Amino acid sequence: MVLVFLSFGSIYAGGYRVALQGQRMLGMAHAGLSVFENAETAFFNPAGISFLDKRLSVSFGVSGIMSHVKFQNAQYNWSYQTDNPIGTPAYLYVTYQSTDNLSLGLAIYTPFGSSTVWNQWAGSDIVNDISMKVFYIQPSLSYKISDMLSVSASLIMAYGSVSYNKDINRYLTDEDGNKTNAQIESGVTGSAGYDLSLAFRPAKDVTFGINYRSKVIIDARYGKAEFNNVPAFLSQKLRTAGFSAELPMPAELGVGMSFKPLKNLLVAVDYNYTYWSIYKELRINFKNGLPPSVADKSYKNTSTIRIGAEYQVNNKIFVRGGYYYDQSPLTAGHFSPETPSLDSNNYTFGLGYQMKKWAVDLSLLYVDGIERTDYTLVRGEGPTAHMFGGTYVNNAIIPGIGFTYSIK
Amino acid sequence: MKKILYLLTGLFIASSFVACEPEFSNPIGEGTYTSGSADFSKYVAVGNSLTAGYTNGTLYKTGQENSFPAILSQQMSLAGGGAFTQPYLEDDVNDIGGMVMSGATIILPPKLIINASVGTPERINKVPTIELTDIHPGPYNNMGVPGAKVYHLLAHGYGDINNVLLGTANPYFVRMASAPNKAVIEDAVAQNPTFFTLWIGANDVLGYATSGGIGVDQNEANNLDPSTYTPDDITHINVFGAAYSQIVNALTANGAKGVVANIPDVSSLPYFTTIPYNPIPVTSQAQADALNAAYANYNGGLQLALSNGLIDQDEANARTIHFEVGANAVVMEDEYLTDLTALGLPSIRQATAEDLIVLPAKSVIGVAPDPNHPELVNGVTIPLIDRWVLSKYEITQVRTATAGFNQMISNIAASKGLPVADMAALMEQMKQGLVVEDGSMYTADYFNGTNLDNLVFGLDGVHPTNRGYAIIANKFIDVIEKAYSAKLPKVVPAQYPTFDILPSN
Repeated sequence: MVLVFLSFGSIYAGGYRVALQGQRMLGMAHAGLSVFENAETAFFNPAGISFLDKRLSVSFGVSGIMSHVKFQNAQYNWSYQTDNPIGTPAYLYVTYQSTDNLSLGLAIYTPFGSSTVWNQWAGSDIVNDISMKVFYIQPSLSYKISDMLSVSASLIMAYGSVSYNKDINRYLTDEDGNKTNAQIESGVTGSAGYDLSLAFRPAKDVTFGINYRSKVIIDARYGKAEFNNVPAFLSQKLRTAGFSAELPMPAELGVGMSFKPLKNLLVAVDYNYTYWSIYKELRINFKNGLPPSVADKSYKNTSTIRIGAEYQVNNKIFVRGGYYYDQSPLTAGHFSPETPSLDSNNYTFGLGYQMKKWAVDLSLLYVDGIERTDYTLVRGEGPTAHMFGGTYVNNAIIPGIGFTYSIK
Repeated sequence: MKKILYLLTGLFIASSFVACEPEFSNPIGEGTYTSGSADFSKYVAVGNSLTAGYTNGTLYKTGQENSFPAILSQQMSLAGGGAFTQPYLEDDVNDIGGMVMSGATIILPPKLIINASVGTPERINKVPTIELTDIHPGPYNNMGVPGAKVYHLLAHGYGDINNVLLGTANPYFVRMASAPNKAVIEDAVAQNPTFFTLWIGANDVLGYATSGGIGVDQNEANNLDPSTYTPDDITHINVFGAAYSQIVNALTANGAKGVVANIPDVSSLPYFTTIPYNPIPVTSQAQADALNAAYANYNGGLQLALSNGLIDQDEANARTIHFEVGANAVVMEDEYLTDLTALGLPSIRQATAEDLIVLPAKSVIGVAPDPNHPELVNGVTIPLIDRWVLSKYEITQVRTATAGFNQMISNIAASKGLPVADMAALMEQMKQGLVVEDGSMYTADYFNGTNLDNLVFGLDGVHPTNRGYAIIANKFIDVIEKAYSAKLPKVVPAQYPTFDILPSN
């Protein structure tokens, strides 16, 4: 159901991780591992639910991703840019402190996704467009061991789908000169994972948080590949085919702390480590005798460092700001334009308005990708691979709005 | 306080709609590409079929659109290059090439395609719509005239429709000449080119080679009058040199700069390398014995000629015909053998690895032309005639002529300070596999059903596909950049068309 009305992130950083899981925290660099203010903690650190000063909290929100990737290569006078649709990842969180020690959480969010559209371009044998949609449903149990320490365990139910279009190769066309392309639809498939977290508050204004979210392998066993603009002589060979493919959602470990250097100022620092090296290759096994399509990915693990602050102007207004540095998991020589993820500097701003039970949070993220010249090797035309590469640069502007309803 | 809140909220919303695009630190733009010391404003390409964009046995619309000069001019347009016109082909409505005369007679057949139902190349089963009499006078920037030899570029009347049936005019040039009495080079020079490519001379030797050497090597005949030459002859080197000098002088008279290109060796063309010299399968000893028995008299006659001193031992050995189980060489005529017809012995021998069987022989070898005599088989019991084989001696003639022409081209170019695009070397590399800029490898092989990814040559076995012309355009770019300190973008060969594969024909 969620899939029906949501389209997920456009690629803007960090592989296909879409770190937009709460507008309040996003205002302060998405550094939420140790900040327990509303239901957003059901995502960031479910152990923190026990530390909320609200018995019930419900948060929901949506972001609008406007991203641009530009590509150029002077060797061939190539200049292209993506025509990505606006991504609208959303979330819904509920936290409930059922007893003094035991709390419950429910998080529905979209940790991964991508949407990249390259139109009529030189890399069409790698990707014309790709759209990945993944959402997690994560119920949590949080147990408060003491006033200083809380732990949690969550189950993750993951659902994902991928839609991907690429040309068969750089020259094959139908009789009218239209490029022969493959449209791959994975359908929605489910998978499971878990999350463990810990919250520790040794002093009134100092909090630590640790969260580990396991990997999830989206196993698309019943995908369907269709071929368009097939020349007549290949019409028997390039027929609609079933396929299977595995797409990994990497595990992520986060460690964070927050403190209050001034009475009205909260500072949070997070470190995220994402186990991207699990993404070694994308292999699509066709079920009709076509040779498998294998793309070498060789991702590497990445670090993200976040620092955010919130200043409470008065009892209603909060102003937030933050910065984080995000690493690209793509390794040299494996830079593929279907996920053109760059190292990036990220600047966030936030504004919160607190009413009696409701709160509204606005966030704005500016992603400033760091220009990179790199290439990938493409197989499938004869015995040798060919290089496709150039210089990539990207940015994204991502405004978001979130609402929270809380009862003490 | 509320004002600040409104202000901040407004700022948020406003900033969301300011979709500022990312910028490169060094974006492609003004100054990325330059002409260096050259001036591309008026580029004229002079040559033959290779300049016209001829491929798959004819000149058709797509082939012309992706001719190497058309590709080059597109790249030059980023560095001061102007408009580039090509001879009228709008009437090629089916994109099949060929030519008809007065709407009825097909004077040039349409393009070769692969008929997938039989897996072989065939002329497409459609009637050409390019009309000889539909003349669209040029001049055009692309002055590539398919079939032209070097001296043709200077010939008056080469574009006169009245000479077509006489064989002294070229149907392609008839349609594009600015006037019937103009020479190709006159139409080229009349455009006042600032830059030119000149790739001419291949037909002066390849016409002889592709016809299996049925023509005359005019160097041996010492014939300096090109008006007596047939298309199948090798041009005399002095005729070649004089004409080539005149052409280069004309093109450089106003100070134009350019590039000349040389002539590839026959052994780099799949037309000569696809059919092995030994394509005759013998499956049993009985079959071998029967064939050897059929040549017993001939072999015996050779021994007689040897003992009478009419031929030496080497020739006797070379002419002795022998079949055995396995792959056997074709039996062929060879006009360069000692004439033993007085003894009733034909001038025949079996081919060796030093002979080249031409591509069209594929449809001849192994065929029994007389259904009443199934034992009479081409290349086995009927020797292949001259046109199907470029014999060892003919290859030497071709090689000598090619080397001489290329030396001439280098000398004349050097005297004018023009760089030479070494297409002979490029094609030679393709024999081993040419790895282009992006890492893709291309070979000089003929289509075998599975190597479409790596092909350079089209179905006629002589002319590159448009993919091949893209590789050639890149080669010209390399030479232009080096000679004139220019900077131009390359093209990706894989993005250019090859030939049609149709389910049936």
